[in-house]
Amino acid sequence: MKPGGMIDLRQAQELFWTLITAPEGVRPAIEDLERRGVLKGRAIDEMFTGDEALPAVERLDIYANMYFYRLLDCLAEDYPKVRAALGPAHFHNLVTDYLLRHPSEHPSLRHLGRHLPRFVASHPLAARVPWLADLARLDWARADLFDAPDAPPLSRDALAALPQERAGEARFTMVPAFVLLRFDHEVVRYWRALDEAESGGDPDDAAHGRATGNAAREGAEVPDTHDHEEGAGRVATPARRRSWARVWRKDFVVHHCSLDEEEAQSLELLRSGESIARVCQRLAAGRGVPKATERAGRMIQSWLDDGILAGVTLP
Amino acid sequence: MSPRDIADPQAARERPPFLGHGVGLRRDHFDRVLSGPTGVDWFEVISENFMVEGGRPLDVLTRVRERYPVVLHGVSLSIGSTDPLDEAYLDRLHALARRFEPAWVSDHLCWTGVGGRNAHDLLPLPYTEQALDHVVRRVLRVQERLGRPIALENVSSYVAYRRSEMPEWEFLAEVARRSGCGILLDINNIFVSSRNHGFDPRTYLNHIPPATVWQFHLAGHSNKGTHLLDTHDHAVIDEVWGLYRGAVTRFGAVSSLIEWDDRIPPFERLENESQRARAIHDETLERGAGRLPAGVAGSARAAGPETGP
Repeated sequence: MKPGGMIDLRQAQELFWTLITAPEGVRPAIEDLERRGVLKGRAIDEMFTGDEALPAVERLDIYANMYFYRLLDCLAEDYPKVRAALGPAHFHNLVTDYLLRHPSEHPSLRHLGRHLPRFVASHPLAARVPWLADLARLDWARADLFDAPDAPPLSRDALAALPQERAGEARFTMVPAFVLLRFDHEVVRYWRALDEAESGGDPDDAAHGRATGNAAREGAEVPDTHDHEEGAGRVATPARRRSWARVWRKDFVVHHCSLDEEEAQSLELLRSGESIARVCQRLAAGRGVPKATERAGRMIQSWLDDGILAGVTLP
Repeated sequence: MSPRDIADPQAARERPPFLGHGVGLRRDHFDRVLSGPTGVDWFEVISENFMVEGGRPLDVLTRVRERYPVVLHGVSLSIGSTDPLDEAYLDRLHALARRFEPAWVSDHLCWTGVGGRNAHDLLPLPYTEQALDHVVRRVLRVQERLGRPIALENVSSYVAYRRSEMPEWEFLAEVARRSGCGILLDINNIFVSSRNHGFDPRTYLNHIPPATVWQFHLAGHSNKGTHLLDTHDHAVIDEVWGLYRGAVTRFGAVSSLIEWDDRIPPFERLENESQRARAIHDETLERGAGRLPAGVAGSARAAGPETGP
């Protein structure tokens, strides 16, 4: 506060921010500031209004709750399967930790969760739930592609128009709303199992948690790598095995599917600017050229069907 | 409101067109709104939800805009923050406004973050001369940057600053007077704050200069016992409808908008709420003036002329 009792706007906002974002609540935050000599005596009551029915601290707590639960809801929407896998209490605690490290720095909530997969990988939970970062990457890819740039998909006619003798030299570009993911665990199958289990439950009930404080941790058993109860049934947790998925948006709907190693490598080659011939060459290793060509044809067909190819060029 | 010279705040003292009675466009209702005619005159959209590169929301807004007037209503301008204005945000808002040609652009009289962090909440300002100067300077800069005046909305609040030097209504009116911005008067927010801070909501209305009010918001709230919470998850309560009636009496034909953001009901429920706003508006003006001003009757989608306060 400025001398003479005036409010300095910057100081007021920094104090307000500190109080409403403190994970243990406004009162402990005030006590901490008092211990450190930042706040003195009845500074809060002198600065903010309050009465017997609703003291200043409780009024500030309203903002603290809104701060945390709005961001929790946003992350629950962007990470539906991470939340389903962990359960509401662990998800709540993970979000508490995440927001301390990564408060929103963007005017849109759409970007709030972008650091979560990396954060999860280095979080203590990762030791007990090693597949969580992979699951988070899948959830985030789906959220991220929802409003990725639009692009018309490649038509069959455009592909058919290529001179047949030069088809092998063709190179594809992908639509912006496409991503190829490599996992250390089989999370695609797990994602689907959670989805099926969830469809019988009431996800909204769980998303909000049941805490009456603000971002304080909730008590719960630490999840383990074994089967656990979640949603409508018992879901086996993902095995540790290298796996791939592609995620894409078609007709404004985001899809994903798992891939075998061959398809994943083919997509990686195409994405790095290699030709169809190079893809066939890779596929031919260990099998004949006709079979490799047939496989390439089937893959290209499915990519066309799914609308993940944006263009084709000849060098 | 189309871009125009905003160098002189007094020159911007013209109320934008009356749009009738609208509702907030929410994802749950995209299909219904696009499927055919609706009972509402216009839509308000949350600006930030459309500051994206592609996907369904932009496609839907494009199609909605072909049929209805649209207002861009932001939640992250953070006009009262002591952080610098976010130029990248203003660029995106400017681009969005150029693309969709909204009737006007609005945000809130509040701050939403500090130190480069965003609370995504509408946080209260102290109503001091220092804050007033700060906000007015920033509104002028934003209006210059966007090439159009903006409207600012009064927020619901749960705590206030003991060292405030003026009541909120005076602060809001003074921001509008000095900057030339319009006021988006949220009737429910006035009601919620009046209960939380113990003032008469009619005093608030009576201190807002009529010519500055461009739009009304109407919404539901939750009674938490010790306070009212602006939750936008209920129907508008009768006391707020009563206050709205008083607002129409004072401010005349002002575009109204129903907000419903959580526990979103079927679209028909929002249409009914909007119809109620229309009925109260039309009845109040008929009773007050003896007749409705031309263009206001039936709250047609076409912009009608203004009525005197």
